[in-house]
Amino acid sequence: MTRVRVTAPRSAALPPRDSREAAQDSEVGQVFVRSLIRSQLRLALVVAGGFLLILGAFPLLLAVVPGLTETRIAGIPFDWILLGAGIYPLIGLSAWLYVRTATRNEARYRDLAKDQ
Amino acid sequence: MNPGVAIAALAVVSVATAVIGFYGLRISRTTGDFYVASRTVRPWWNASAIGGEYLSAASFLGVAGLILLSGTDALWFPVGYTAGYLMLLLFVAAPLRRSGAYTIPDFTEARLDSRAVRKVTSLVVVLVGWLYIVPQLHGAALTIRITTGLPSWVGSVAVVIVVCLTVVAGGMRSITFVQAFQYWLKLTALAVPILFIIFMLAGNGTPALSPPAVNPTNLAPAGLYQNVSLLVALLFGTLGLPHVLVRFYTNPDGQSARRTTLIVLGLLSVFYLFPTAYGLVGRMFAPGLARANQADAMVLLLPGELVGGAAGDLLSACVVAGAFAAFLSTTSGLVVSLAGVISQDVLGAGVGGFRLAAVISIVVPLGFALMTDSLALAGSVGLVFAFTASTVCPVLLLGIWWRGLTDAGAIAGMVTGGVLCGGAMIAGSVGGANNLAPWLAQPAAWTVPAAFAVMVMVSRATVQRVPKTMPRVMTRLHTPERPLATER
Repeated sequence: MTRVRVTAPRSAALPPRDSREAAQDSEVGQVFVRSLIRSQLRLALVVAGGFLLILGAFPLLLAVVPGLTETRIAGIPFDWILLGAGIYPLIGLSAWLYVRTATRNEARYRDLAKDQ
Repeated sequence: MNPGVAIAALAVVSVATAVIGFYGLRISRTTGDFYVASRTVRPWWNASAIGGEYLSAASFLGVAGLILLSGTDALWFPVGYTAGYLMLLLFVAAPLRRSGAYTIPDFTEARLDSRAVRKVTSLVVVLVGWLYIVPQLHGAALTIRITTGLPSWVGSVAVVIVVCLTVVAGGMRSITFVQAFQYWLKLTALAVPILFIIFMLAGNGTPALSPPAVNPTNLAPAGLYQNVSLLVALLFGTLGLPHVLVRFYTNPDGQSARRTTLIVLGLLSVFYLFPTAYGLVGRMFAPGLARANQADAMVLLLPGELVGGAAGDLLSACVVAGAFAAFLSTTSGLVVSLAGVISQDVLGAGVGGFRLAAVISIVVPLGFALMTDSLALAGSVGLVFAFTASTVCPVLLLGIWWRGLTDAGAIAGMVTGGVLCGGAMIAGSVGGANNLAPWLAQPAAWTVPAAFAVMVMVSRATVQRVPKTMPRVMTRLHTPERPLATER
């Protein structure tokens, strides 16, 4: 085990300033940062809210529409298909939409910061 | 089933894990390697590793067992485990990676500029880790007892030994390879037997013994409150789990942390179809497995029950190997992250401290696991999620998104959530799980809002304590690093 040597120090505290933080030196830079954070938070909340709404609608649908739980597809009851397999594509779709839009928000911020 | 086959399966998984771990040793060099794999792991590797680490005894055995017992109510478990990752992607993945910290206490200390917050966070993280390791060891004990007839403690001790060997030898870098391998092992081990069983049942035209809507035991169905509370725990608990968070530091930048999470969501979605299939097949064709009061062992017993003979033995060996991989991977992931916290905060940094801390972080829960009896695995893991959601989750979410958080608020909130949720858990284990009021059995629906509320109110009352470094840290968390990172 003696081959392992400690060459990197632990970095518990904040690492030194990097170029990213240069942006907040100016007041305008700080405005850009705040607006980026706001748009990312809004995006996350919208995606999470939409997902939870649809998630809540699934059991509601089963409770409200009569006979749906007795319906079978290939021998499997419909409620099992809906809750056991139908929610996953919804999760994937929400995640994909989020990643696409979040990356776009960051690209917009980058353009602004570069122009400045 | 045949004990010899089971023991052979266990030996193969353990040896394969150790070999890949030692292979990783050759490329672990620095303290950074030990903690976070130098942040150079590719997204697919990393995503498989995250999947491998996350899919624990609860996912592999517990979910199917609960579905067998309570039907569609239990389907919220796999949905919640997966959707928890969605929340993690939305709210913490990229900012946490950009924080540049190794562990959750590193993050809270840097964000709030306070040693006291660091101490409290460390304590909470260690508690969460220990609480989460115990069900893994219970799962191992159950597996050994059911499949080989050996005494239960052999299973727990075997997991502890293999984990100690791999973690102490290689650190996170080797763990990454081990975990990635174990995701695919777990998926195969679960998929092959159930597909074989389904094709066999369909081919023979075997009639179902019982319709899937009928519970095999006289268990009362869960009410709306319990399902909602469970979902709160799983959705918000995932993003505070220490072994899940430490994985994000192995991505090179924030955007790749997001891409990795996207892949993880796909991997989890595919995986959870199979425990669901086990539960459904069990309810329809082998409802008797629920009555033996060991529903958690259903995945292990189903191939023997429905297939039998040499083919049944082979398929059983397959599931036993996968189950053991689940205990090993989750436990080693937890041990790595706990050891990171303990060695930095108690023992001093460096590789030697990390090894000692790794041993400490697994021996304590081993003692606890040997002294206690296994409850339903998915249920006890669900409680750990509730505890995490009431403690680590608020400090992470508010720390990342709210400029007004202060150290006093963070500590007050974590203590409130920890005391309330921990109290409910203790009351539950003292009062017996069966005749417990729903609000005590599933505390997340009220402990999580309470923790958030206290954290916000105390922060508001101590506005003057908002650290001066706050704007700088917020900029670091949210702005994209290396302007050309996407054009590689």
